[in-house]
Formats: sequence, C-alpha cells, structure tokens
Amino acid sequence: MTAVGLRVIAGGRAGIAPGPPGLLAELYEKYAPGVYARCRYLLTDEADAKDALQDVFVKALRALPEFREDASPSTWILRIATHHCLNLLRARRAAWREQLQALQKDRRHETEPPDRRELVRVLLATAPEEAQEVAVLYFVDELTQAEIGQATGRSLPTVRKRLREFLSCAREALREAMPGVLLPEGEDL
Amino acid sequence: MNLDLGGPGPGCSAMRVRRLLAGELLGAEKERTEAHVASCARCAAVQRELAEEREALRREVPFDAFAAGVAEKLARQPRRSFTQRWAPLAAAAGLVLVAGTALVLRPTDDPGVRSKGGVSAQLFVQDARGVHALGNGPVAAGARLMIKLHPGAHKRARAVLVEPGEESVIYDGPAVNGTLPQAFEWTGSGPATLRIALDEEMVEIKLHR
Repeated sequence: MTAVGLRVIAGGRAGIAPGPPGLLAELYEKYAPGVYARCRYLLTDEADAKDALQDVFVKALRALPEFREDASPSTWILRIATHHCLNLLRARRAAWREQLQALQKDRRHETEPPDRRELVRVLLATAPEEAQEVAVLYFVDELTQAEIGQATGRSLPTVRKRLREFLSCAREALREAMPGVLLPEGEDL
Repeated sequence: MNLDLGGPGPGCSAMRVRRLLAGELLGAEKERTEAHVASCARCAAVQRELAEEREALRREVPFDAFAAGVAEKLARQPRRSFTQRWAPLAAAAGLVLVAGTALVLRPTDDPGVRSKGGVSAQLFVQDARGVHALGNGPVAAGARLMIKLHPGAHKRARAVLVEPGEESVIYDGPAVNGTLPQAFEWTGSGPATLRIALDEEMVEIKLHR
C-alpha cells in the first residue's frame, strides 16, 4: 500500500498512525494556523483556543464536501471558527465592560489610541449576534461589504445595516469607558 | 480622537492574502493579488502575521496532538447518519490520501461479495454518483469504500487490507449487522485483498487496479 497513514481503527475509536500525513495533515497545514489564531484572538485563552480548534475541525470534517467545494475554503472555515467562538463567549456572558476598562487602563495617556484589534474584540460582545459576525468579517478578515454579502448569503443593504448596528452598539459602549474615542459612522465605511 | 477600526483597504484584505497563500486564488485574480501584495506594505505585514500564526500553531499545537484530539472528539460524539458518520472518522484517522491520478478499483470477479458459512460482506463505494455497491466499473479518485457485514451469529469482526508486503487493519470491533462505522480509501496499486474475519470464519474480497 502506498503511503497510507492508517494503523488501527478499533472499537469505534479512530487511531492516528505515524507516517505520511493525509487529509487531516493537509487541512492542518493550510487552515489550522488561521483557525487557531482566530480562536486565540476571540477567546484569549490558550487552552480554550486549542479545544475550540479541534471542535472547528470536527465540524469541518463532518461537512467535508461543503468545505472542500466552497469557493473560498479559508473564508468558510474561519466563519465556522468565528461562530464557534462567539457562541462560547455568549454562553460565558463575557464581561466586556471589565475588558473595556482594562483596555482603557492600558493607555498611558488620553491621546494614545487603544489597540484597534483588541478594541474590536471587546466591543463584539456589545452587539447583536449577526452584527458580531459581520464585524469580524469586515474589521478582522477585511472582507469588503460585497464579499461579506457573498460569504454570508446576505444582501448588501443587510450587511451595511449589521455594520451600522455594530458601530452603534460600540459607540454606546465607548461613550462611558473611553469618552474621547470616536468611531467612524456606518456611512464612512 | 477619531479611531479607525480597520477594514479592507483599496485592493487590500487580510483574507485575500490568506487565500493567495492557501492557493485559492486563480487566474487574473491571483495575478492581480500577487502584483498588489509584492508592493504593498500593509499586505507584507499581513504575510508576516500569517507566518507568525503558523509558527504559533506548530509551537503550541503540534500536529500529532491536534490529530489525536480531533480523532477523539469525532469518536466520542454520537454517530450520525450513515453517510455522515464514516467520512470524518476516516479522514481523522489519516486514511485519506487522494492521488492525483484516477483510481481504478475492481473486484476480481463477482462484485465485492464472498460468503462462507452463511456470513457475507459487501463493499460499497461512495463517489459523486452517491453510494452504490462495488461493481466492475472504475472507481473515481477520492471515492470512499465502506464495508457492509452480515455476520450471522458472530460477535466480533476484523477487517484487514492485505497488499504485497503490507497489511492494514481497517476495522477491529463488534460484528455489527450492517455497515461498519469506518470507511477507507485505497490509495495502493496492484492486487489487494480485503480479509474480514468473523470470529473464526473468514470472508475475502479481492481487489485490483
């Protein structure tokens, strides 16, 4: 047999064999770095991120044909990762107020801008579910609004509406914690 | 202070760089993105960030630990439908290696069934046409093979793929009446025999390509 990494599958449990890698290794090389980074970014905990990384790949393997045939597998699997982490954060009722205060304390003076990506991460929890995902696709993955519409199956006006919702919630949250920081209007994006 | 939260730039996007490096961009889009990335400081920073992501993954989640964790979660989670449950398990087991050339797999004569002592086994193929019994036609590359058993009163089954110089255990567990929970993909060449032992009885399916 040429290059099959199988050793034993017994009693309903799958075993990984040493040797040539196969599909999972290919997926690991191509997509796991981004998925792990996304999980670390959103969950901020290494152990949680490792666990989430495995969960995301379990989901991807269960939907393998859909994943492989997607026009953009990278976008597909990062959306799965984002969804998974946002769900975990919702379940834990992430304390965004405390995190926002911590970001404010990290600034040495009022003119120093807070870390942009950290601020986006903390502010996600202030917004409704759909707006959270659109915000990650726009501010983190840097997809255009048209690309977001394509990836999520939503219309362009809906994508714009979700971005405006996110910015509105974020602005409200910042008003108290960082009164000097102003966010762009939805129309400016 | 007006704060820019980021977002896509003109011709720039972290995802586009990610897709370029993953080989997902083709034709004009690929050429356009390559030309842009070569002269864009922001995209160069994204490339560095992606390289750091790769290093962090290798350092903190080596492949073996990752694969073992995924396989365990797949095995632990409840079984799903017939077609949903086998493919991920096989993939997690590192079974699937898709050859670039077309795979042709044929049983030596009868389509995939041998029986002895009232027991039988049959090989099914899942490909673009769906799930069907192994026939005499070619099997497309990437098709998964599944074993269906009628074990009679036997309690235990063990399936071994025998090829020149190598044997691979495909399954070793309860002799379920029906399709075994794991599927496999055969990436070898030449003759092979799938031997299925049911307690003391043996069922063989011969393969070649």
